[in-house]
Amino acid sequence: MKDVNQINADILILGSGGAGFMAALHAYDVNPELNIVLAVKGLAGKSGCTRMVQGGYNVVLDPKDSHEKHFLDTIKGGGFINNQELAWTLVTDAPKIVLELENKVGCFFDRGPDGMLHQKSFAGQSFDRTIHRRDLTGIEIIARLRDQIFAKDIQVLEECRGIDLLTKDNRVVGALLLDIRSGEPIVVNCRAVILCTGGGATMYKIAAPSMEKSGDGVAMVFRAGAEFIDMEMMQFHPTGLLAGESRLSGSVLEEGLRGAGGRLYNALGERFMERYDSERMERSTRDQVARASYMEIMEGRGTQNGGVLLDMSHLGAEFVERTFPGMVDRVKDIGKDLAREPIEVSPTAHFHMGGVRIDRDCRCNLEGLFVAGEDAGGVHGANRLGGNGVAESTVFGARAGDASAKYVSECDNVTIDYEQMYYIWQETTKPFQLAKGEDAYGLRNELKLLTWEKMGVVRSKELLEQSLSELNEMDERAKQIKVSGARRYNMEWNEALNILNLITVGKMIAKSALMREESRGSHYRSDFPEIDNKNWLKNICLIRDEKGDMRLYTRPVILSRIKPDDIT
Amino acid sequence: MKNILKVKVFRCDPETDTTPRYDIFHVPEIKNMAVLDVVFHIQNNQDRSLAFRSSCRIGMCGSCAMFINGKARLACRTGVATLGTKELTITPLPNLPVIKDLLVDMDPFFEKYEKIKPYFIPEEGRKDFCSVPEGLKERRLIDEMLECITCGACYSACTIVTTNPEYLGPAALNRAFCLIADKRDGGGDERLRIVSDSNGIWRCHGQFNCGEVCPKKITPTWTIQQLKKRSVFKMMGIHL
Repeated sequence: MKDVNQINADILILGSGGAGFMAALHAYDVNPELNIVLAVKGLAGKSGCTRMVQGGYNVVLDPKDSHEKHFLDTIKGGGFINNQELAWTLVTDAPKIVLELENKVGCFFDRGPDGMLHQKSFAGQSFDRTIHRRDLTGIEIIARLRDQIFAKDIQVLEECRGIDLLTKDNRVVGALLLDIRSGEPIVVNCRAVILCTGGGATMYKIAAPSMEKSGDGVAMVFRAGAEFIDMEMMQFHPTGLLAGESRLSGSVLEEGLRGAGGRLYNALGERFMERYDSERMERSTRDQVARASYMEIMEGRGTQNGGVLLDMSHLGAEFVERTFPGMVDRVKDIGKDLAREPIEVSPTAHFHMGGVRIDRDCRCNLEGLFVAGEDAGGVHGANRLGGNGVAESTVFGARAGDASAKYVSECDNVTIDYEQMYYIWQETTKPFQLAKGEDAYGLRNELKLLTWEKMGVVRSKELLEQSLSELNEMDERAKQIKVSGARRYNMEWNEALNILNLITVGKMIAKSALMREESRGSHYRSDFPEIDNKNWLKNICLIRDEKGDMRLYTRPVILSRIKPDDIT
Repeated sequence: MKNILKVKVFRCDPETDTTPRYDIFHVPEIKNMAVLDVVFHIQNNQDRSLAFRSSCRIGMCGSCAMFINGKARLACRTGVATLGTKELTITPLPNLPVIKDLLVDMDPFFEKYEKIKPYFIPEEGRKDFCSVPEGLKERRLIDEMLECITCGACYSACTIVTTNPEYLGPAALNRAFCLIADKRDGGGDERLRIVSDSNGIWRCHGQFNCGEVCPKKITPTWTIQQLKKRSVFKMMGIHL
């Protein structure tokens, strides 16, 4: 390995979702002289999940609504283990960020008859506060952010994935990237890294996110020594489309369908939510509805293909077609008519609430590292409200951009440790050197089945212990994956790298889930089916120890603004 | 008995191959199968050297446009059952350089897109949200044409792009219209000047190829006509 392409930068941003783009634009605005590099696993703005946002963005705009209400909804939805200061930051920053998206970035959100932004109903919220652009909101947000990047002097590296962060002592000093097209490494030496790569829900058999996502950021910074919280909290969205073995399966039919009055039925024709949350019915939070659906399916009341039925037809075909054109179109791809007949849906792995433990400015325990969006934890607690995801990524992306720009102006550049880099690159290319070994795609399928069956919607001590031992074994096998062909745009090699990261994230989930002996939010233990505020108003933290193993411990939730007793 | 698809796939690695070739694969058809499922099946089970690009798999990101049975389409939103044949021919998008197999270099497309200043330029002094009553006539066409996912299908279907590589192309011009017609934007005059030059709107022959292939049902030919109208009025000193 010689003549490695090296880039020297002030700030390296990994990821081009809402968080990555907002971070880049904000850092640039603070100081246009900064050398900002943004690396994306796919094409800029086309990779990741902000683009896949359908329903919309929660923001307090109406005088009859309030920050307090949005905050309370977020905390209640999150099972009271949210970091309350982060949640408060989310709701109070969102209005100014939405104004920025409209008036500076150029997004156009749907209007109501009064000319102001239209806010629709979403599940688990006390007020209609979800702004949107039809039912495919993410396209407008990410496309306009992408447009703004063109206007700025920001270096964009497309189809370049992060392999590992480079560190010196406890300081992040750069990263090793893989240029997927050439198959060659790029080393970035920088003063700060902003991590916004997105989560690893794609490890599950039925999953919603874009396919290239594989928890890369989370796994990378685990290896670098970052501290995590709430890793057991993986959200399952209740209405994932079932389309057999096609890759369309698992894609989300948006929350607004339930918000607008969509109903869920089991195969016996019962509106089963009556048994689980008779007050809110289908408009209950995602964790409740996903679990209810899962129980119905597991108890034999699901459809032949293992789903339940989402029915919109009673709302009138014209209304459904006008309000949800994107969803109607999607469902048409499997030969069904959302406006006129029930559609088979299943819970689908969707969003990781857990992530790096950050403060309000996205700093964490590693110096020089800022984390925003799905890679960070704490904002949503045990369950995220629909519409709070893109709010989080844009609000905290902006804050990470601001804070990192200030940070780099006050710190020195530290050169990277080339030995460290060479070692990582050697490990990365190892799959080409094996004469024979494990099969990347076969292992991925095994992982998908394991996670779905044993560490998904319903968990138990027994299942989680099995998961861990199987994950440990898979981890060893993943190190023996053999890859063939040239390095240039080698999809199999990239899958091998994905699997290693996903297994790491999977272990973090299983270990944290095993520790939490209660049920709360998205985490449900059949052996501890009740919420236990006496013992578990805590966050489970996880960090790498000196031997490279995972060390777990708890921290009490700081109830700085509201306590569970305040609302009963 | 399962239906077996006969799939002809364009193969080329410009770094090592002097000429491209077609490989033929036989793929079992599954229910709800999209062309993206077909190429994944080939890649995972038959030839791991195959390269193509995809991401969201539900028609939102515009990463997987390919030339499928003679037409530029998103692989993820093209159901095999809708093709009316069990024989598929898949090649990379025309009018763009091939990186490897079905994977094209989108840079020429985005270089043109960048030329029209695709970014919103805020009007000075706006402090609050701009009031735009629902269904306002002047926004109606923008709203229909706004959801471009920059997949490049229109660019690859445009015969003017084929004969004049400098032509800005349908997606870039459509984006220019969406900004010029947006009353919140302050960069209209400059953009109208850019699109009116010799490689801009006047090159369009109104063939509607772009609209026919657009997976988002956008018709750039219309918005280009709107730009022509605005450009003429501007030359005549009439402000729309």
